[in-house]
Amino acid sequence: MSPDGIRSSHSSTPGSGAPGSGSQVEVDVLAAMRKPGALYWFLLLVCGSLFMVGMALWAYQMTRGMGVAGITHPVGWGVYITNFVFWVGIAHSGTLISAVLFLFRAGFRRSFNRSAEAMTVFAVMTAGLFPLIHLGRSWYFFWLFPYPTQRLLWTNFKSPLMWDVFAVSTYFTVSAVFFFIGMVPDLAIVKRFSSGVRKWFYSALSLGWKGSQVQWKHYNQLYMFLASFATPLVVSVHSVVSWDFAMSIVPGWHTTIFAPYFVAGAIFSGTAMVITLVVPMRRILKLERYITIDHFESIAKILLFTSLIVTYAYIVEYGLAFYSGSVYEIGIFKYRTFGHYRFYYYGMLLFNALVPMTLFVRSLRRNLPYLFILSILVNIGMYLERFVIIVSSLAKEYSPYAWGTYKPTMVEVGITLGSFGFFFTMFLLFTKLLPVLSVTEIKEESH
Amino acid sequence: MNRRDFMRIMGVTSGATFLSSCGLERPAEKLIPYLVPPEDGIVPGQAVYVKTTCMECPAHCGISAKVRESMPVKLEGLSAHPINEGGLCMRGQASLERLYHPERVKSPLLRDSEGNFKHITWDRAYDMILEALKASVQRPIGSPGGKPGRKNLYLSGRTTGTLSRLIDEFCKELDIERLPEFDFYSYAAIREAYRILFDKPEVPSYKIDRADFMLTIGADILETFVSPVSHAAQFSRAKRTGHFSWFHVEPHVTLTGLQADERFSIVPGSEAYLLAYLLKHCSARTDKFKQRMIDLMPEIGVEAAAEKSAISQAHLERIAQRLSHAKNPLVIAGGVATQQEGGLEIAFLAGLLQWQMGMAGRTIDFAGSTDYDAVGTFKDLLSLSERLEKDEVSVLFVSNTDPLSSCPESYKLRDNLRKAALTVGITDLLTETMQECNLILPLSHSLESWGDTSPNKKLMTLLQPAIEPLFDTKSEGDMMLGIMRRGVRESRAVIYQQYIFESWARDHGGAAVEAFLQNGFLEKRIGVRVLKSRPSLSTVESFLKRLHLPEPKSGPTLVISPSIRSYDGRSSVLPMLNEVPDPLTTISYGQWVSISEADARELELKDRDEVRINLDGWSVELPVKIQPGLRRSVMVVQQGSARWHLQVDERSGEAISRINGVSFEKTGRTVQIPILSGSTSQEGRGVIPRPGEVHHPREEGGRSIYPEPDYPEYRWAMAIDLDLCIGCAACAVACHIENNVPLVGKEEHLKGREMSWLRIEPYYEKQRILGKREHSHFLPMMCQQCDYAPCEPVCPVYATYHNPEGLNAQIYNRCVGTRYCSNNCPYKVRRFNWFDHDRPKPLDRMVNPDVSTRDRGVMEKCTFCVQRIRGAKDAAKDEGRKVRDGEVIPACAQSCPTQAIVFGNILDPNATVYKWAHSDRAYRTFDHLGTGPGVYYLSKGRTKHES
Repeated sequence: MSPDGIRSSHSSTPGSGAPGSGSQVEVDVLAAMRKPGALYWFLLLVCGSLFMVGMALWAYQMTRGMGVAGITHPVGWGVYITNFVFWVGIAHSGTLISAVLFLFRAGFRRSFNRSAEAMTVFAVMTAGLFPLIHLGRSWYFFWLFPYPTQRLLWTNFKSPLMWDVFAVSTYFTVSAVFFFIGMVPDLAIVKRFSSGVRKWFYSALSLGWKGSQVQWKHYNQLYMFLASFATPLVVSVHSVVSWDFAMSIVPGWHTTIFAPYFVAGAIFSGTAMVITLVVPMRRILKLERYITIDHFESIAKILLFTSLIVTYAYIVEYGLAFYSGSVYEIGIFKYRTFGHYRFYYYGMLLFNALVPMTLFVRSLRRNLPYLFILSILVNIGMYLERFVIIVSSLAKEYSPYAWGTYKPTMVEVGITLGSFGFFFTMFLLFTKLLPVLSVTEIKEESH
Repeated sequence: MNRRDFMRIMGVTSGATFLSSCGLERPAEKLIPYLVPPEDGIVPGQAVYVKTTCMECPAHCGISAKVRESMPVKLEGLSAHPINEGGLCMRGQASLERLYHPERVKSPLLRDSEGNFKHITWDRAYDMILEALKASVQRPIGSPGGKPGRKNLYLSGRTTGTLSRLIDEFCKELDIERLPEFDFYSYAAIREAYRILFDKPEVPSYKIDRADFMLTIGADILETFVSPVSHAAQFSRAKRTGHFSWFHVEPHVTLTGLQADERFSIVPGSEAYLLAYLLKHCSARTDKFKQRMIDLMPEIGVEAAAEKSAISQAHLERIAQRLSHAKNPLVIAGGVATQQEGGLEIAFLAGLLQWQMGMAGRTIDFAGSTDYDAVGTFKDLLSLSERLEKDEVSVLFVSNTDPLSSCPESYKLRDNLRKAALTVGITDLLTETMQECNLILPLSHSLESWGDTSPNKKLMTLLQPAIEPLFDTKSEGDMMLGIMRRGVRESRAVIYQQYIFESWARDHGGAAVEAFLQNGFLEKRIGVRVLKSRPSLSTVESFLKRLHLPEPKSGPTLVISPSIRSYDGRSSVLPMLNEVPDPLTTISYGQWVSISEADARELELKDRDEVRINLDGWSVELPVKIQPGLRRSVMVVQQGSARWHLQVDERSGEAISRINGVSFEKTGRTVQIPILSGSTSQEGRGVIPRPGEVHHPREEGGRSIYPEPDYPEYRWAMAIDLDLCIGCAACAVACHIENNVPLVGKEEHLKGREMSWLRIEPYYEKQRILGKREHSHFLPMMCQQCDYAPCEPVCPVYATYHNPEGLNAQIYNRCVGTRYCSNNCPYKVRRFNWFDHDRPKPLDRMVNPDVSTRDRGVMEKCTFCVQRIRGAKDAAKDEGRKVRDGEVIPACAQSCPTQAIVFGNILDPNATVYKWAHSDRAYRTFDHLGTGPGVYYLSKGRTKHES
């Protein structure tokens, strides 16, 4: 490989079919793919190490037993399932931004869509690890798939966990295909500017894209189709995830508002994650010209809107418990408010309901450092929300004898950090290996 | 190569590999054969039941040891046994662990000069003993020139029957003085009181089933007192008649007390006032003699009694009224009431009341009294210590008893034990006392030995081996014979088995021995021992004249209560009894002190906060557990769970279990003790309905979008009568052993990861219902085998599914461990294997081969002992019939001393479970959730018995 990998686009010859050659967009976007600096390597090392540590801890958990985690009786699900829901939630706004906003012709999506889609794919991958990690016998994970066996064993389609298997795997497949298809014209551009192994790599990925009229026609049709296909998945996947809880009879879980509540929460947290990722990316990769304050303001509005939905759901939950007259439901919500996990609960209210209210102020919506900090707070708040819902409901179920509390152990914390390590490793690799902005779409916009 | 060649070569090579791998590389393990092979041969996979006797406590219940492939794997109460009638308590169930205890002494041990034990041979051990015995005659006492001939002494735990006679013979032969036996609960005050009254220093048998009203004072009759399983069985029968009521008076709170119809909390030490009051007001004054007795009594009016005892006048009058109106009253004073200063007076007054009201011979049986004749008291222990100190003792045998663990420090027994020239310990485990001995002779478990016992004077029970000794151990009888044969003479019997068979034949005749071996017990035809018609007036008079009713002391009082789990502490070595929690507090591992809610409020104490208890410069620090129902400034600790500052009553020699004048203070620390219950209150959830208020659920149907479960032949169901359940947790231990439920230890318990499939949930309620101030409930909770089980639809791999007989079957091999089933179970009865649980050798042999052991990552739960259902169905199929009612008895129901659990096919209208389930009292827990449980509970508030 050449030391630089990407040749300077100034010296390049015009590529076949590319609309305009060596344009400023290409220069800027492809510059981001240049040989990384020390900071990049350092971050990659940190994230990669975190991931490796997480994997090692998982191996330890498998050999010793689930007991090394803090989950217990009666709290059979803890941080692992929280992570699962959290990461699936993160995944959501990727699809929302790229597919839903595409269908709504929202122009500002172009600045975010590539990184949002990448985030989706990586977040689903991360999320998908957790159902495996939380299994008592992870090595038999394939029993969750319906495959023909001699022993006539089949899976239980009544189980929401089974629906999960399909929802998540479908979502992953569609997101990955959508991500990849959207990138094909850009990959062809990258191919033009690269040499050596990279050239071979990108030419393979670009599937022989020439940019011909016919190709564009097919491309647009397919992209529209996938966007339409992915949009309902935003709703369905997180609805199914919420049914993991809502289909049970656990007080605090068993409620009909869970699906919309979770979908809104997912978009909320995902949007926050997009901000968290894009703000530094824009700065580091010098993409200020393409990702503007206006764009951030638009996305901040989504954040505010979903925050209001989530807040509404919080209120409705209490209403449901109050009107249910059920001692169990009321007990759970009292416990949530005043019990062991009350500070997590207060944190969740503060970060998800109160702090985002500040986005009604226009200047704050346009203040990038503020948005960045807020997005992190929302991420924390949404993590706490999932933790509170999962753990506090299980801690005080029906039988008072079996009440108990849960505290995560270092293994769980380590694996959780490992999942962040995995996600950011993937994202760092993405920023250097793939075009972080949709070159073609930005060009389209500027024309 | 053609196919035939291939097969030929493969056959030869694989055969050769197979043969060579069978070589001598691994030493052949010793197979342990049956000592007494079953008559129709050993069939692998088929259990053999050996009738023998439980030796864990002095009650000596009859047991049937289930032997599979030559290993005893479970003990069950022997049905139709005159003591326990088929039930077995938690200690009895767990005593199997004594056989397989990892720390068992495996061969004779000798302490070397450095104080370490090393293995020696039996011959060497015998020679040492004989030499020492011989030398004792020649060595002078104390300084040289003193008079020759030091004494050899024999101290044993309570022994009865032939063994006791053989020990006498042994002692006589070898010039050894046999000391009074030592047992912590020696009932010294009770025996002394009966000695004064009737010249019979005995512990009578109590005939609860013959009583229509029972008043118990301090006696924990259902836990440790004399013969708890027998009492529980009788209590159950009495209760079923519908004309039985029971009042209990105690200074603290016991499981027993909470089972009484009414429980009265009394000021510690004031029991004598109550008894004196009752004597005055209930005794028949039928003749002059009785009149005279009553006249001698100090005048205790209802006001005085109420003032001293803090039982209200109305209540006192009610007790007196119920007692005097009863046709067959029974009064039992014992336990902590007689183990205190003034305990002798209490026992005496109780004895007098019993006699005055004519209970003796009707509800109190002296003819079948429990055999405590040879048991001494702490006074004898003190005299032993003094003799040791004076250097009068040469060889001291300490057999199967552990006085050091409870003996007061002031006796200096520990130091003095070292002064004997040779202390020979006969034991199965190195207890505190045994660690001070020079020579240890390893004792076989009762399941490895022949023998007999005499639980009471009417009864002889059989001890027969279920297995050959696991280690190089011998029964005590064999040791005696061995020493005698080696030393003195050729004894007539070579082995103890021969000795006892000869002895039985001589005493009872051949036919009786046949029946004895067949039944496991023999009811002796002994002459009716008639009580003296009346106590001697002069002794009673002199006692009553000297009678000084002790003034109840105010201030904090520490009550040392016997423990249902460890008896006097001896059973705490059994791992199972630490794993299964104390039913009152749900504390499993560790020590604690129970305090009242009032004291907790005053000192601002929460559960697990540490307090320091001080008494005369001695102090102990313990975490607290708040016990509802406990009276203010009374604290309760359990005997044997730690060293208490033991005091001894000098008149009777009884250990004192009520300590006045303690002070307690908060240390500010908290101690992590596993309290398994999340709440002692039902929190308004109606787990148990209020007595008499069974809520009948709405009509069934329309509950599910899935088809109704269809049960073609059987729907297994269980019914539990909470009116009969005494919360003793025998079922929990039985379940543990039957189902190979692993023991996980304290650390896991602290995290809430106990594995018990069956637990006793205690609930305490304060509302006044039906005139009763306090309510306590003990709810045995296991998998409810729901019709619409919430655990089933959520399992993604069908590891749990509904079988056609109504069970929520759990397929361990299919489970991937999502734990969703456990989350979705409202009863929280599913247990997850957080780790692989090792069983330390040789406990790994104590597994039921019918139940697979579970690996890490797998969910497990109660399946109504599906292995037993399977066995019964197989037997029924062989005979071409359906399973009969009562043919399947799950381990919990089998063990239940009160037979509060019935099991069967609820589709059969003639089945007992059907009748119980259709009782007016029947309800199901959380029925309103629509789970359709297969376990029916019969709420309290029995009016008359249904079945």
